[in-house]
Amino acid sequence: MTVIRILWRHRALIAVLVRRDLDARYRASVLGFFWSLINPLLLLAVYAVVFTYIFNPRFPGGDPYPLFLFSGLLPWLFFSGAVLDGSATLIDNGPLLAKVMCPPELFPAVTVFSHLIHHLLALPVLFLAMVASSVAGLHSFPWSFPLVVVALIPWLLTTGGAVFAISVLSVHYRDMRDLVGHLLNLLFFSSPIIYSLEGLQVPVMLHRVLALNPLASLVTVYRDAVFVGRVSSPQLWLVAFAVGVVSWLLGTRIFAAYRETVVEAV
Amino acid sequence: MKGSLRFADVTKAFRWQGLRSPHETVKGAFFHRRKRRQKSSREQYVALDCVDLQVSTGEAVALIGPNGSGKSTLLKLIGGILKPTSGTVEVAGRVTALIEVGAGFHPEITGRENVVINGMLLGLGRREIEERMQEIVDFADIGPFIDQPVKIYSSGMYVRLGFAVAVAADPDILLIDEVLAVGDEAFTRRCLDRLARMRQRGVTMVLVSHDLDLVTSFADRALYLNRGKIVAEGPADAVVARYRSDAAGGSGRDDQLPTRREDDDEMRWGNGDIEIDSVELLVGEKRSRLVAGGGPCSLRIGYSVHKQTDDFVFGVAWHRSDGTQVSGHNTDLAGLVPRRLETDGEVCCEYDSLQLAPGEYLVDVAIHARNGLAYDYWCDALKVRVTSEVEWPGVWSPPHRWRSTGPEWGKSTEYRRAAPEDTDE
Repeated sequence: MTVIRILWRHRALIAVLVRRDLDARYRASVLGFFWSLINPLLLLAVYAVVFTYIFNPRFPGGDPYPLFLFSGLLPWLFFSGAVLDGSATLIDNGPLLAKVMCPPELFPAVTVFSHLIHHLLALPVLFLAMVASSVAGLHSFPWSFPLVVVALIPWLLTTGGAVFAISVLSVHYRDMRDLVGHLLNLLFFSSPIIYSLEGLQVPVMLHRVLALNPLASLVTVYRDAVFVGRVSSPQLWLVAFAVGVVSWLLGTRIFAAYRETVVEAV
Repeated sequence: MKGSLRFADVTKAFRWQGLRSPHETVKGAFFHRRKRRQKSSREQYVALDCVDLQVSTGEAVALIGPNGSGKSTLLKLIGGILKPTSGTVEVAGRVTALIEVGAGFHPEITGRENVVINGMLLGLGRREIEERMQEIVDFADIGPFIDQPVKIYSSGMYVRLGFAVAVAADPDILLIDEVLAVGDEAFTRRCLDRLARMRQRGVTMVLVSHDLDLVTSFADRALYLNRGKIVAEGPADAVVARYRSDAAGGSGRDDQLPTRREDDDEMRWGNGDIEIDSVELLVGEKRSRLVAGGGPCSLRIGYSVHKQTDDFVFGVAWHRSDGTQVSGHNTDLAGLVPRRLETDGEVCCEYDSLQLAPGEYLVDVAIHARNGLAYDYWCDALKVRVTSEVEWPGVWSPPHRWRSTGPEWGKSTEYRRAAPEDTDE
């Protein structure tokens, strides 16, 4: 658990670096921080138009589809964004690692936290969309919405583990980044984001394979809370947390194995 | 003890990087697994080779040597940026590395915000930085630019701000890698002054520089590295002299590089073909370590010959204990052409009048070949105290008189006496 100790000791620095990340991103823009609201809002608007008027997929539990999709996509964007950035974070901060002493753990952590903050900023958009659609009578309001906080814990652990592993691996293997891009694509379509496992009409074998995807449980508990409006079964919660813990342990273990040679390879 | 550091048998090897390395890619890692296990010397580059080093609190040590000799690697090992391949590195206290000032400044945010982040990276707390902010801003002296994004800074401003943060970090050990070479002259002077004051406070400093004058004026001690090994170690001016003579004599010839004489005093080296047996100061006919400024004296060098040669130079260098060079002279510069050196004997360097200001002086004595190859190089072979009735400042005390037609002067009966004279040790 040395990683956690290092992160805790440098929590003030991490906070400042996360702020720097966010600041720097919005510094030169007119709308500033509003961008983190506008981005998901635009996304939602596009989905609403496309998936209502142009192409309207229907399956049980998937109505209204734009909201269904949005509620699965949000945590995925957190995960995939952090992993993609994570594959570059140590390389980008190479000068710092090589010239100033600072623990390399900082940078993957900063990546995860700044994406988490982006995600948290998008949550009000999701919340308001739910309120609006229930007022319009399209959907009953999911009273389980606050559970999103709990659902985010396995997401955070999983993302953290993945980012730690990817960050250090992509320093040592420069083609890791391309690989990550493809893997994310594969993972996206094999996760129940654009569809739900329950409403899926596919051969049993394929269904079983898709259910093996570790992210499936995470997507489902998240969407159950913010969209479906129910508390997932304890088994599902257990699986989601187990995925998170295993990912975290594995990721930090991989990080530790390559940690000492990061500076030389960067 | 805070501010001290110790290297015991430290080796640092790097794996070669580049296109020929099979481990750069995931594909490579899979297809060259077996190769990966064996660490052949072909895959490794030894940057530091079994280095022992001890630096005590408050010392200023310079690392000199040609490019690629391992100086920066050594510095990074002290800083904890790199880990040794083998051996142990012990460092006590907070280390700040001025390896590349301003490394990690983010271009999009302002100088002031960067100061906070950089300060925290250097180990300061947020409150400490707020407290020192004014001091840092004053020292950097970049005016209204401090509240502008760093991307519009000139490279000089960048360095100024980076240096200001780094020295404000209040380290126990400060590592400096060539950073004084940047910035304009006024700023460099200010940096040096700040470093000097930090030294007074007892901050340990390790400096890498190719500016040899800076090294001799700044460092107590120098280490001369070549190909990852410490070739010479001792008082800064002596080691610098050694480095200079090596550089002039073609440092590429590895076999000719004299090795450090392990068994002897660290401030002495050479291949031992000719050995200095004794160095004495003679005043009149008497041996002494005390000589009156302006009086006559001579240096007598006794030597023994272990290997006959026709290429030899006897040399003497005077310096102050603070490293200030006073004078250096040798038989070659005096126009004496060496013919033959077969038997043991003595050489004398006679001074009609030692025109030195009062104080303590150190004398290096050397016998070397004309290309600089040392037979015996003995730093601080002799400590001499020059006395005077009046405490002159500086090092030179020429005989002189004041003549005038205008003002009238009386004659003082009181002299400002020099410090009480030590008797012969």
